[in-house]
Amino acid sequence: MSAEITAAGAAANGAGVIHDIGYQAYDGPRLGRAQIMLALGWHSLKSAFGIGRGAKAKIVPVFTFAVMCAPAVVNAIQLAVTGTHTRVVPYDTYRPVALRVLVLLIFLAAQAPEVVSRDLRSHVLPLYFARPIRRADYPLAKLAAFVAACLVLIEVPLLVLYVGTVTQVRTGSAVWSETRALIPGLLLGAAWAAVAAALGLLFASFSSRRAYATGSVAIFFFLTWTLALLLTSIGEHAFGPGLQQPSALARLAGLISPFTALDGMRQWLGGTSPGPVPDPGGYGALYGIAVLAFLLAGAGGLLLRYRKVGVA
Amino acid sequence: MTAQQGQAIQPAPELTAPRPPAADAVIRAEALTKRYGAVTALDKLTVAVPAGITGLVGANGAGKSTLVKILLGLLEPSDGRAAVLDQDCARAGQRIRTLTGYMPEHDCLPADVTATEFVTHLGRMSGLPPTAAKERAADSLRHVGLYEERYRQIGTYSTGMKQRVKLAQALVGDPKLLLLDEPTNGLDPAGRSAMLELVERIGNVFGISILVASHLLGEVEQICDHLVAIEAGKLLRADTVRSVTRASRALVIEVEEGTELLRDELLRRGLAVAVEGRGVTVGLAGDQTFDVVRDAVAELGLPLNRMEQRRHRLEELFSGDQPAAGVTSGGAGDVR
Repeated sequence: MSAEITAAGAAANGAGVIHDIGYQAYDGPRLGRAQIMLALGWHSLKSAFGIGRGAKAKIVPVFTFAVMCAPAVVNAIQLAVTGTHTRVVPYDTYRPVALRVLVLLIFLAAQAPEVVSRDLRSHVLPLYFARPIRRADYPLAKLAAFVAACLVLIEVPLLVLYVGTVTQVRTGSAVWSETRALIPGLLLGAAWAAVAAALGLLFASFSSRRAYATGSVAIFFFLTWTLALLLTSIGEHAFGPGLQQPSALARLAGLISPFTALDGMRQWLGGTSPGPVPDPGGYGALYGIAVLAFLLAGAGGLLLRYRKVGVA
Repeated sequence: MTAQQGQAIQPAPELTAPRPPAADAVIRAEALTKRYGAVTALDKLTVAVPAGITGLVGANGAGKSTLVKILLGLLEPSDGRAAVLDQDCARAGQRIRTLTGYMPEHDCLPADVTATEFVTHLGRMSGLPPTAAKERAADSLRHVGLYEERYRQIGTYSTGMKQRVKLAQALVGDPKLLLLDEPTNGLDPAGRSAMLELVERIGNVFGISILVASHLLGEVEQICDHLVAIEAGKLLRADTVRSVTRASRALVIEVEEGTELLRDELLRRGLAVAVEGRGVTVGLAGDQTFDVVRDAVAELGLPLNRMEQRRHRLEELFSGDQPAAGVTSGGAGDVR
């Protein structure tokens, strides 16, 4: 409005338009494809936590992060108050396991649509594809950003757990053994983040409607998780030769859900803490393959999905 | 409005504007063909588009958007080749997209971010460093006439303001060429002319070559130097706007009564006349035509309702018919 007035005034005076200093060409540096992807990834990572959005967009990320940290904080308080030096939460399963699954599920269902469905909904993709990146760069940057977001959600509580424990132990050897226990936990957490992010984005990218995207992510993870636990339970109690010896059904049921598959892989790789599924025993390698399959299906499906998106 | 007023006090742009040399073509297509299964969207299209503002005209479905997507390197042609700014579209798509700004036809804006945030982000996506992206986003939005509004969420904008944001995001990366797909889509008449002035200004004053795809010839001829007309994926005509439209300028006269009388009188006075619906159309040879019509109407004492220069029709352009020759059928409006 003020500009219009200024322009009108300038016109009346017979002078040039004050506001308009004319078009200026850009001679500065131009960033390459990799740096554009980095910028897109950083932008997406921030949006996964609602940064740069309104206060409402931060509710779920903050809430899930706080809840995820709760066991670690409880551990730290417990160690400090009781004076014991024994950690009460394992690094690799991060008990309670159901809490981690539930929190991750809420985060995926709420934030994966934030990362991909918004752009689909506003039809902004042609603007990205008309810029100096390649078609696959967009989903790759989004995937990397969301894996990073899930890493923050999973690994930061582990680090809190570590710090809360290490500050209470006295000997160097205790610190060393804590550190040695932490590393597999972090690696496993990375696998959780990669699998969860890839599948979460894939399901979210099927719909531009936020509610549908959230629904499909939640239903996929929740249904497969519940079904896997149900079948495991049936396998343990109905068909098993004995409570100490889970049946093949109980050993294999975990393959249908990404989270139980991750836990089966953990036990196959030597994890000893009790998890949601029994030790897969001889079927262990299948769990490794299943995790890899989930990861490839999620990432590959996402790339295929964006090859099909209309460009204009 | 600002652009309009700014324009009004300046000398005619063609006298002062630093025009890019017209010798080199900014876009070249050679036997360009695109088939989607059985449908042929582009059929052996060969055309060269010079620097300056060029209109790409054709009815909906003529292949305009397909051509634009091939030019951006987003679609592979089935056959033939195309080059933008001397870069091959099939191989150097990334380079072309660095040099080109694209404004899509359809809505492509998120509702819940401000124009500043949005255009800054897309500036980053064009390869600008953070500070440059911020500065150029502010400049681009100012150039398209968005000032204080740019700090508001795009969802609160009118259609005209949204179109301006779409134009600003195409401009933010300092392109050498702009591809605008139906930039006046959804705008009211005032919004249309404001947008057209803006496009004309970007082309003539900023010196950026522009390809404007439109189904409205009347709009394109107002601002373009050149015209490329396609139909069913084939080239119909590529020429300067002046030579295309000179032959087909027409004047529509509507009288309350006595249309027949007027036609006979105008014929007697030596004009080529056709009756169209309730009006009479004559070929417009120059200012003297207005005088002849005025005299004829005055002499007959007819109540004159309307007299205006008519927008050209795509069919006329395509068939090469002149409206004054009396071959146009009555009633139909612009091809929409």
